[in-house]
Amino acid sequence: MDTADLSPHISRRFNEDLDRVRNQVLAMGGFVEQQLAKSVTALVEGDSSLGEAVAHDDFHVNNMEVSIDEECSRILATRAPAASDLRLIVAIIKAITDLERMGDECEKIGYIASRLAAQERPVDKYREVKHLGRVVQDLVHDALDAFARMDAEAALRVARRDRLVDEEYEAIQRQSITFMMEDPRSIRRVLDVMWVVRALERIGDHAKNICEYVIYMVHGKDIRHIRIEDVERALKDGNGP
Amino acid sequence: MGWTIGHPWWGLTGALAIVLTQQWVKLHQLDHWLRNRNRRAPPDAGGLWGDVVSQVSRLHRRKQFHKQRLLSLFRELRRSSATMPDGVVVLNTQHEILWFNRKAGELLGLRRKTDHGIALASLLRLPQFGRYLEKGDFSSALRIQPRIGDAVWIEFQGMPYGEGQLVLLVRDVTRQAQLETMRKDFVANASHELRSPLTVIAGYLETLSLDDGVPADLRLPIIEMRRQSERMTAIIADLLELSRLEASDEQVIGSPIDITALLTLIAKDLAANNGTRHGVEVRIESGDGLMADAGLVHSAFWNLAENAAKYTPAGGTITLRWWTDEDGGHLSVIDTGPGISAEHLPRLTERFYRVDPGRARDTGGSGLGLAIVRHVLQRHGGELAITSEEGRGSIFTCHFPPSRVARQSFALNGDSRYADGVGA
Repeated sequence: MDTADLSPHISRRFNEDLDRVRNQVLAMGGFVEQQLAKSVTALVEGDSSLGEAVAHDDFHVNNMEVSIDEECSRILATRAPAASDLRLIVAIIKAITDLERMGDECEKIGYIASRLAAQERPVDKYREVKHLGRVVQDLVHDALDAFARMDAEAALRVARRDRLVDEEYEAIQRQSITFMMEDPRSIRRVLDVMWVVRALERIGDHAKNICEYVIYMVHGKDIRHIRIEDVERALKDGNGP
Repeated sequence: MGWTIGHPWWGLTGALAIVLTQQWVKLHQLDHWLRNRNRRAPPDAGGLWGDVVSQVSRLHRRKQFHKQRLLSLFRELRRSSATMPDGVVVLNTQHEILWFNRKAGELLGLRRKTDHGIALASLLRLPQFGRYLEKGDFSSALRIQPRIGDAVWIEFQGMPYGEGQLVLLVRDVTRQAQLETMRKDFVANASHELRSPLTVIAGYLETLSLDDGVPADLRLPIIEMRRQSERMTAIIADLLELSRLEASDEQVIGSPIDITALLTLIAKDLAANNGTRHGVEVRIESGDGLMADAGLVHSAFWNLAENAAKYTPAGGTITLRWWTDEDGGHLSVIDTGPGISAEHLPRLTERFYRVDPGRARDTGGSGLGLAIVRHVLQRHGGELAITSEEGRGSIFTCHFPPSRVARQSFALNGDSRYADGVGA
């Protein structure tokens, strides 16, 4: 990390600690990405054993969160980091909570997918869900890329894309209502699918949160609960929002 | 000069001062030139200073020459590496990116400007790739699908050098993966298509073999045809089972299995098939169960037990032994057959591999049994070990990792959290 290299008072061991914990977060992110991809595939392909595997593997995500959390507490207690290093640790502690929640949502999707696999598949073969899943997967992937590269601009671009997910979510909701009105027998299945779509939408929100932490980490600015346009203007002007 | 004015010491001091000033000016010029030597011509200083200046400028020219040569060599290397069909990434001891060529950038989505010094695993974030780097065993390549659902497959081959640095070859193997899938699909489809006509043939042969109206000279051929059609049916059933097993690399989760009951059942079936040709002994040394898919594990254990029965002469003993320790759970099938010579052991689990082609066909096996066993174990994170001594017998052992051992108190509760469609 460039910023850390500029501070001669910080020991090499400390840098290594920070790098390691950062890499652990990204490894956890990678695992969550994989869980997400698997859970959506399980639903779309009607693969019940894959869905079960996703639900079963969620404990790995939880374990990773606990161990990263401990590592962060240890660094805070023993190294008392300041400035950008402190922001990094704070951002990590927040990011792993979001990742863990994403993991829970994936578990939910996996579980529902394994249940829906036994039922009759709809005519559209979950095309809409597949598309939303792809959008959300890209969002999570790019958010974690921005985290790995400490790229605030990319993070901002990704955060802006969360809107696409919300629009897609609305569209599927409207479509589902039509399905249920046309064929009341499908209500149960459509409700289950709605849970999946809802979970995907939540994952998109968590990805957006991670982008906010990246911006916080790089610029030291808290941009939560602020409209994206205001954030952009503030970052351009160099003033705090 | 001092004597002429009567003050020799003053004269001497004055002369020294002049000489010192001259030297100082030259030293200063030299220093100034050394600092800006790329832009300025060397100062024109005679004598010893001149020698020093020419020495330094010669060294400088030589260094400049080497630098240019290295730089142009480096540029050439970089340009030529860009034309390489495979990606190359050079990693330092922390597995951070030192350098990568254009193809690697394309395949892995790396950026030339920003990604140097970042840990490669942080950018790729593929759990399997992280494990591959961490394990540090680069004897084999790693083939993965970067995005599940995409058709793209990428192969990584690490080559360590120096003190823990690593050159990583990255290849796009999508085409090979597709061919592999096509081959698997073909075997599965062909077996499936062969099954229906074969069922008809086997059905008629069965009827004919029971029909008293068939001339006596046709009776033996019909019985033989029936036997062979049964064998074909068995081979096709095994091929189908193998393709099902191969369809996924995903680890099977399964549920806890009571090994005691399973082995007792296998021993009973074995006795029923073979009469009293051999003694069958079941040795249960652990009350622990196994977390596995019951159907797959039964098929694997049954294959091993049946093999042992086939190759053990009458009067021999077959032992089924189950035990657990800190390395996991183990099941051995021990026979007192003729044994297998060492040269065959590594190839034994290959499809249709025969130790003794003439003899093995008589036993009616499909030649796929051990391949099935190996695949079942792979899907459970286990492996098959074979030891054998000619004339004494063979031991086939299935090793399962500790995570697969289900302690007796271990029981799964029905998970009803999402049963109402309501999330946590």
